[in-house]
Amino acid sequence: MGRTKLYLDDDIPSHGKRIWRLFAAKPQALAGLWGVVLLLLLAMFGDYIAPYAAEYQDQAALLMPPSWSNQGDVSHFLGTDDLGRDIFSRLLHGAQYTFGVAFSVVLTALIVGVVIGSISGMMRGLKSSILGHLLDALLSIPSLLMAILVVAVTGPGLENVFWAVGISLTPQFVRSIHQTVHDELQKEYVTAASLDGANALQIFWYVIMPNVWETVIIQTTLAMSAAILDIAALGFLNLGAQAPMPEWGAMVLQGLDNFLTSPWTVTIPGVAILLSVLSVNLVGDGLRSALAPMRN
Amino acid sequence: MGRYLLRRLNLFIATSLVLIAILFFATRLFPAELNYALSGIALPTSEQQLQIQHDFALDKSTLRQFFAYSAERLSGNFGISVTSQRPVSGELLGVLPASFELAFVAGLLALIVGVPLGVISALSRSKSLQKLIMAVTLTGYSIPVFWLGLLLSLWFGVQLGWLPISGQINLLYQIPKVTGFMLLDTLLFDGTYKWAAFIDALQHIIMPACTLAVLPFTVVVRITRTAMISVMNQTYIRAAEARGLSNTSIILKHALPNALIPLLKHLGLMLGPFASYAIVVEVIFSWPGIGAWLVSGIYQRDYTVIQGGIFAVALVIIFFSILIEVLYTAANPVSRKDMYGTN
Repeated sequence: MGRTKLYLDDDIPSHGKRIWRLFAAKPQALAGLWGVVLLLLLAMFGDYIAPYAAEYQDQAALLMPPSWSNQGDVSHFLGTDDLGRDIFSRLLHGAQYTFGVAFSVVLTALIVGVVIGSISGMMRGLKSSILGHLLDALLSIPSLLMAILVVAVTGPGLENVFWAVGISLTPQFVRSIHQTVHDELQKEYVTAASLDGANALQIFWYVIMPNVWETVIIQTTLAMSAAILDIAALGFLNLGAQAPMPEWGAMVLQGLDNFLTSPWTVTIPGVAILLSVLSVNLVGDGLRSALAPMRN
Repeated sequence: MGRYLLRRLNLFIATSLVLIAILFFATRLFPAELNYALSGIALPTSEQQLQIQHDFALDKSTLRQFFAYSAERLSGNFGISVTSQRPVSGELLGVLPASFELAFVAGLLALIVGVPLGVISALSRSKSLQKLIMAVTLTGYSIPVFWLGLLLSLWFGVQLGWLPISGQINLLYQIPKVTGFMLLDTLLFDGTYKWAAFIDALQHIIMPACTLAVLPFTVVVRITRTAMISVMNQTYIRAAEARGLSNTSIILKHALPNALIPLLKHLGLMLGPFASYAIVVEVIFSWPGIGAWLVSGIYQRDYTVIQGGIFAVALVIIFFSILIEVLYTAANPVSRKDMYGTN
């Protein structure tokens, strides 16, 4: 689009705008962003646009291959499983479990992590060190083991996966935010602000926080991809979402019985997981490289 | 350095205590009787009942109970497994070596393939090669490991029939346990079918190790690449070039050792996810290691196995992450600068 320049002086982009330009300059990062937006929409409205109900069993079409195969039919676009359930519809219904639950877990862990991490980052000395040990211990329990512990206490189910993944993600947020706040606190511009008479709260919110958000964003994308993979892995191990639920990892497990004769019941949900994690990682990668020149 | 080592030892002890405390409280939350969750004995005789009560100080305060619990667990009393009725500590020692073997082979594979690829992608001038390597690593990083394992076993195990898809070795071979590492045991074994058994064990480990190696491989490539790019811009590399050193000697002697330091740090951070992946891989390939054992423990609600397994895995991770941190500090004098006065 041609645009006439009305003003002689150059437009000086704001911080956010510069980051956006750097981000948008990479086509793969933009593709990832579209993917994430699409997945978010599917997680919200997937139930309404799916052609079949998640549990609807079409007895006339058991184990029907995807529509591009010769035996396939376009009424079941991605084929059906051994009970005649439409895989495409189940994927759409399952977006809210795999992607939606991952999103809400990360959001919860993010809020808790920001609160605890910034409080502990502003503290010095023994209290901060005790918290550090506690976090180290929590971090040393892998997410899957934490989930096993939670399942041992509460039994399997998607709600328990929420707690399991949340408990294992929160320490990562707390730790990275603690570290960033702690590092920023040593810098000279903070000393300058406190010499100007800013109190601790003002220093925290107006001086330090603007420099912490970038870490938070990057950590969020990392946590998001980890959360999706964990939820799917737990579904696959039958410790998370239970049998009829169209959670993507659980769908892989349900398709396993017919893996040899009809591999699409396993491969298609797997591709869905792969693509959603990939788009989250593309966004994270794009953000990291867009933010990198500013941070150095 | 001595003071630093003491601090790390202190950290190790403190972190382990916190870990025991987490397990201690989780044990009380298990939907089972406390006696049973602690010892694994479903129907104790009155003698055993008294013994359990005495061992875990169940009639004393919570704090005393915690100390009794830590003392029992640290002395190796994990109770007995509900399903096998054998001591958990013995089973634990039986399954740990197999897991170490798998993790070691996978980690080695990731380093051997990953470091050179990272160096190549950092030094290569070809944009398409760089993009290809980045695309491959990002995809590898996003792949759900259970799905990858299933696809590999379908393709190489069933359709092509090249590799066995489950277990550690063919049951036809009777290999006595010496070290617990199957590859070593077959080599130490003195019999007519020694080499056949070794090759069979090697074939069994290829697929699980490759599946597990994907995550560390992608991380290694990316970290090596970033580190290598930043090292190659340093002034001492230019100085080495000015002195007329050959390209290979600059890369191997001056750049690579410095690029490996950040890699070491990231390896420590990767241990947790790596262990999670290892558990899934062990389940898929029926690898007789601690992950498969732990998952079958949760299916059977075997509370003593769950406690013992989580304790062992987390302790190993704590130990190795602190060890890697110490190695990192030893290898990187710059990080020692801010060692004092901070955490």
